[in-house]
Amino acid sequence: MIHLAKRVILQTLNDKRSVMMIFIAPLFALTLIYFLLGDSDYTATVGINKNAMPAPLVTELKAQDLKVIYVSNDDFQHPKQYLKDHLDVDAIFTISENASVNIIMYEPSKKSAKALSEIQKALSSLNPSAKINMSYVYGAQDNSTFESLGYVFLGLFAFLLVFIISGMALVRERSGGTLERLMMTPIKRGEVILGYTLGYGVFAIIQAILIVFYSFYVLNLHSIGNIGWIVVAMVLLAITAVSFGAMISVFSTSELQVVQLIPFTIIPQVFFSGLIPLDLIPYHLGNLCYLMPVFYGVEAIKRVMVYGGGFLQIWGYLFGLIGYTFILYILNTLALKKFRKL
Amino acid sequence: MDIKISNVSKSFEKKEVIKDITFTIPSGEICCLLGPSGSGKTTLIRLMIGAIAADTGHIQLANIKMPNLKMLKKIGYMPQNDALYDDLSAESNLRFFGGLYQLSKSKLEQRVKEVLELVDLTEHRKKLIRNFSGGMKKRLSLAASILHQPDVLFLDEPTVGIDPVLRRTIWDQFQEIKKSGTTIIVSTHVMDEVTECDKAALIYNGSLIEYDSVEKLLKKTNTGRVEELFLMASSRGGVVK
Ligand SMILES: Nc1ncnc2c1ncn2[C@@H]1O[C@H](COP(=O)(O)OP(=O)(O)O)[C@@H](O)[C@H]1O
Ligand SMILES: [Mg+2]
Repeated sequence: MIHLAKRVILQTLNDKRSVMMIFIAPLFALTLIYFLLGDSDYTATVGINKNAMPAPLVTELKAQDLKVIYVSNDDFQHPKQYLKDHLDVDAIFTISENASVNIIMYEPSKKSAKALSEIQKALSSLNPSAKINMSYVYGAQDNSTFESLGYVFLGLFAFLLVFIISGMALVRERSGGTLERLMMTPIKRGEVILGYTLGYGVFAIIQAILIVFYSFYVLNLHSIGNIGWIVVAMVLLAITAVSFGAMISVFSTSELQVVQLIPFTIIPQVFFSGLIPLDLIPYHLGNLCYLMPVFYGVEAIKRVMVYGGGFLQIWGYLFGLIGYTFILYILNTLALKKFRKL
Repeated sequence: MDIKISNVSKSFEKKEVIKDITFTIPSGEICCLLGPSGSGKTTLIRLMIGAIAADTGHIQLANIKMPNLKMLKKIGYMPQNDALYDDLSAESNLRFFGGLYQLSKSKLEQRVKEVLELVDLTEHRKKLIRNFSGGMKKRLSLAASILHQPDVLFLDEPTVGIDPVLRRTIWDQFQEIKKSGTTIIVSTHVMDEVTECDKAALIYNGSLIEYDSVEKLLKKTNTGRVEELFLMASSRGGVVK
């Protein structure tokens, strides 16, 4: 078992692409996400008809983080056409005679949402009774998407890369015939799976520490709880990923087939990782999350990072991962019977 | 360690690949499984070592029914493909496979050194396998199968793709290994190699068509070449079909 773990470590270290994939790829992807989903200082552009709008409101609009432009009467007749022709304008804002407010936007997007919220601010400052004060128990309104969903990405990357690397390595071992050779030595079936888990476990630990330090100290993600528990959850998740990869390799005879199985293995995990709020998924399909190892990891990370929980708040999820790994270990050991009855 | 194969049959996807084969390989000899490509040599070897289970019949090694976990220690197996780890050096490959036999550290190092010398790869021991030539891989694969000094050695087409000079040295090595008391079962489709062996089992379409000492087999032919025996079998088979 120790021999196998040692071999896995040595083998991975000798393959630069695997090393890059485990250590560099998650940092690269997180950086990319940081820039894509980070704070944007985008200023929305709103078109108004100066003559049909009360002067105080115009002043208020201008006081907001908005670019206000004046649109001619003619264009106001066909606001949708105007927006199609002027893609730099995010919204057309009018007040009709009966004082009802019309806002026409190009498409539901973050830019439109930004225009909308700034218009709302302008309206409420004119009419204090319509002012809404928002606050959250956890998190803050001005959190960027990266900050409020960061925990999902920590979990996803901890799982995905180790899953792919270990699954591929095991499939290669099968197709290259080394597995048959291995099974013709006195090694026990369980030891094969344990050795693999141990070997990749070492990489999982280093990877989790690397990701956590990079996210919290370089990308300025914040955690209320102790980040040690985040590392623990990520390592357990990565260890589950090794067993999951081993399971997939049972159903694949080539590396190409591992890739072909991605729609069944990785994509559901991404959907149920918490990227989409599970309560909003119809027909109680959200409950399927309990089948996805990523869910347990991400939920544990969220509870530490966002809710400030500790072991007592996350032990259920951690044991969920351990249970998952244990069941996969049993199944994988049985699956190896295909190569040797004993 | 006699190897007793009794009424063994094996089918893959309803196609019978091994058809009711029975024979016994005595201890300490080199027995060659001779047959054209696709005749079932690899399948027969995998049945003998217990990598796959027979549909009917059974296989005994030294009167112990296979597959058997304890017997695996006494078996060496060199698969038809090289089955080595591309991302490891020659030395690391050997250390890994040797380690699985629970050799002590000093014994393991000593054996690694010995087998590397035997297959003439000492100077390449630190090279990664992905930079090895086909012939070097074959030799290292052989080295990996004899590390733990097995009592029975199964070699599946060990000389395919190897130049004649190297083939000669490899056969010399087999003779050396035999002298140390190891039983060797070697498969080949090169008819000439039969003269290197003590016994030969001729496999054709999954059936054992001849099994005898090489001397006696050659006497059955007019020209002294084993091909004849296969041609006879194929004309017989042609009539049946
Ligand atoms: N795992 C397998 N699944 C299906 N068919 C197989 C399998 N292994 C071998 N065969 C078939 O069994 C026959 C004998 O193969 P093999 O034992 O490899 O022959 P040889 O080693 O003599 O070239 C071939 O027709 C081959 O296609
Ligand atoms: Mg073969």
